[in-house]
Amino acid sequence: MKRNKPLALVAGAALLTLAACGGGSSDDGDNGGGTDRTFGDQEGGTKDAERQGPAAEIEGAAAGGTITVYLPGDPGPDTLDPTAGWSVTGNSIQQALTSRSLTQYVRDEEGQPVLVPDLATDLGTANEDYTEWTFTIRDDATWEDGQPVTAEEVAFGICRSLDSDAFPSGAGTEYSKTYFEGAADYEGPYTGKDPKCENWSGISVEGQDITISMATPFPDMDYWGAFMAMGPAPLGNASKPPNYGTKPLSNGPYKVDSYKPNEELVLVKNDQWSADSDPGRHQYADEFVFKFNQDQAKVDEIMLSDNSDSQTAVSTGLGSDKYNDANSQLGDRLVQQTSQCVATLTPDYTKITDVNVRKALAYAYPYEDVWIAGGQVPGVTRIPANSVMPPGMAGKKDFQVDGEQITYDPEKSKELLAEAGYGDEPYPITMVFYEVDPLAVAAQDQITKGFEAGGFSVKAIPVQDSPYNVWLDPDNKVNKKLNLRGVSWCSDWPAGSTMLPPLLKGGAVYNTALFDEASVNDEMDNIATLPLEEQADAWGALDEKIMTEYFPIIPTAFLNDLFVFGSKIGNPTGDGSIGAPNYKDLYVMQ
Amino acid sequence: MSADTAGPETLGSLSTEPEHQDPNSQQAKEIAGKSPMRIALGRLAKDKIAVVCAVVVLFFIICAVFAGPISAAFGVSLETPLASERVDGLNQGLPKPEMGPPNGPFTMEHPMGVAPRTGEDNLAYWLYGCRVSLLIAATATLFASVVGVIVGLLAGFLGGAVDKMLSFFIDMFLTIPFLLAALTIAPIINDRFNLSDNYGTIQKTALIVVLSIFGWMGTARLIRGEVLALREREFVQAARVMGMPTRRILFKELLPNLAAPIIISISLMLPTFVALEAGLAFLGIGVTDGVSWGQTILKATNLTFFREYPQYLWQPLLGIVALVLSLNLLGDAVRDALDPKTRR
Repeated sequence: MKRNKPLALVAGAALLTLAACGGGSSDDGDNGGGTDRTFGDQEGGTKDAERQGPAAEIEGAAAGGTITVYLPGDPGPDTLDPTAGWSVTGNSIQQALTSRSLTQYVRDEEGQPVLVPDLATDLGTANEDYTEWTFTIRDDATWEDGQPVTAEEVAFGICRSLDSDAFPSGAGTEYSKTYFEGAADYEGPYTGKDPKCENWSGISVEGQDITISMATPFPDMDYWGAFMAMGPAPLGNASKPPNYGTKPLSNGPYKVDSYKPNEELVLVKNDQWSADSDPGRHQYADEFVFKFNQDQAKVDEIMLSDNSDSQTAVSTGLGSDKYNDANSQLGDRLVQQTSQCVATLTPDYTKITDVNVRKALAYAYPYEDVWIAGGQVPGVTRIPANSVMPPGMAGKKDFQVDGEQITYDPEKSKELLAEAGYGDEPYPITMVFYEVDPLAVAAQDQITKGFEAGGFSVKAIPVQDSPYNVWLDPDNKVNKKLNLRGVSWCSDWPAGSTMLPPLLKGGAVYNTALFDEASVNDEMDNIATLPLEEQADAWGALDEKIMTEYFPIIPTAFLNDLFVFGSKIGNPTGDGSIGAPNYKDLYVMQ
Repeated sequence: MSADTAGPETLGSLSTEPEHQDPNSQQAKEIAGKSPMRIALGRLAKDKIAVVCAVVVLFFIICAVFAGPISAAFGVSLETPLASERVDGLNQGLPKPEMGPPNGPFTMEHPMGVAPRTGEDNLAYWLYGCRVSLLIAATATLFASVVGVIVGLLAGFLGGAVDKMLSFFIDMFLTIPFLLAALTIAPIINDRFNLSDNYGTIQKTALIVVLSIFGWMGTARLIRGEVLALREREFVQAARVMGMPTRRILFKELLPNLAAPIIISISLMLPTFVALEAGLAFLGIGVTDGVSWGQTILKATNLTFFREYPQYLWQPLLGIVALVLSLNLLGDAVRDALDPKTRR
């Protein structure tokens, strides 16, 4: 899942890992006397196929009130069409409040995500080799107009995810297209002029049962089912894009009242939703108001002022300059949530062919300095990373490429360059930075400084577009000159299959390193066929193998989010599955 | 306005000149020997505000011209330090106590402190920011006023079709919204030139061009109006009758009489451009490499930094306010000094 906050883009281009070493973080910042925050262990989560509605009441929860959510620097989703959602923001809001899917996550007492049924009555049943999944759709779920959600509608929604021309940024382009049988040749209901989805044979509906056939074994189908793209859509023209994206028909506890892209989304109670039909969601607040593209400094002031407006508000970000104030004032209402994301630098594997040069880059990157200049809090919103798989992911190995955490060490970088035969003159690096944001410019200055000290010469090209648009466009004239790119990536579900192949498989869209080793590609294909219980460890082993043998990608940091909750917001928690506030369980204290 | 050619018809009964003097008196003799410019300079020298403003402007010019040597004398530079050496990432990114304010005393290594988050030296950035500001404003003023004066002279003197056409261009340029054009041009420049090694210079040149293109119309209109009035005067008629070429009439007869409006429009254009440069940099267009007062203000207008470390915002802000204010007041004083009708 791509991070779509501009700052995270910067992160991709720039920000990253704590140098526990030289210059180290000074200890006198502890003047606020606030909570000492350490990284809560995020675990892969569990599954509970038996969970049934209604969801357990939150202790002390009350009904009523309006919750305002500020999203600083986050433009929000471009469309509300469930099929098109692959951003953290859109998916977290809609999946939790308006658009149900086959399965969903709930937060358990320890803060770990639990996969539970949603529109399906259980987590689906697969055949032995995971090439056929059957979900039984519950019969008591309804749309906001009171009509029941039928199995045909769910099947149609799933079918829509195969239309990669109508929904180019949808997650279906990665998963449905890859795994569903016959998906590769099927253009989708809109592009393929097949409005009833009759020409795709990969799905069949019998009564309340939906059966999906897979082209390759897909043991993670139950996780994929937690994406809102795996949910129902009204048949026919009612759900035709792009109009459906402005006001999708809701089947969750809230429905869309008004939506202004990049500005505001207002959700109000959906009185047709019945709590008995839903094992995970609550309907405490009367209304949710999401305000996109907010100014970080303004939101920080609002949240810290604790006035009557901010008491029922939530902010999905906190400026690093406010961290100490917030930490000492807010206590539990400042929530640090691991977002299961990794920020990386990706040296072009076709141009920087020597592994020592790639390692030299890792040693020449001034992690902590880049974080500070880029407006991050070292050790809080950014922590050092050792590999691509985020902490807590099942199978992740606790290894270090060179025996210990790579930190900023320009001397070591020079040694490695000399070893590779580039000791005489600086090794040229060409990269881009987003010149519109002063934080990105400052971060780039630090990177240039560090790289030059480490024996590189840096040509930093300013761009006024999202760096992703440069990195992902093979025909871009700037992109052709680059030999160092970056990407920030979040897991779609707690499995290595959502981290390693999207970033490091030959030909993958976000494989900006252009890393393509046949043995690694084969291994990835091979892991998908392993028995389910062996897969996690296999991904972990592959992660270690890739990093130690090839070092094609430089993980610079694991990302954390900071959420601020108003003093009258009950149950201030984050959602461990996605890196967003836990919208499902919020309420307004009365 | 035109001091030396003003005849009785312009002075008339509204004259604010001192009462009639005996041409043989001591006072009258002293005045008699001075050129109009010298009289104006004399008046300027007696104007206390003008003198103070001139000194302030001179100070900024020295800072801009000698930014390098002054920085070297203080031992500071634009060089980016490693952020963690100078600022405390866990304390809101504010400078460490040994780096000066806000958490420690001022130090000689960094006389104006260092920037939060990056640790860059404020003094060096202030000096070079002053240079960028004045360089861009002065160059743009030069181009805009030359274009404005020439267009105004031609339109006013030639009249007829030429006047109609030039006036049309003036009106057309006035209708283009400046900010919108600047916002549009920035990404175009970036897209076209971002691979160039001279990107910074190209960016500044583009900014000068934009400022000039949208700055000449006021001067042109002013000069055109003045010329319209002047060309019907006897000395111009006389020159025409004598068969003087148009070029000579324009530059020898008309231009000297336009010195006052030109100086005034220049003295008001300069501070406008200083403020515009900073404003555009604040908006993230124009100069983006950080060496600009506007960019420093953009980084400093963070409520936490303003509360904890107000000096960081005050430094560039004071620079802009003092420079713009003194240029404006100086411009007013020059106008007053050049205008014989001013009551003083």
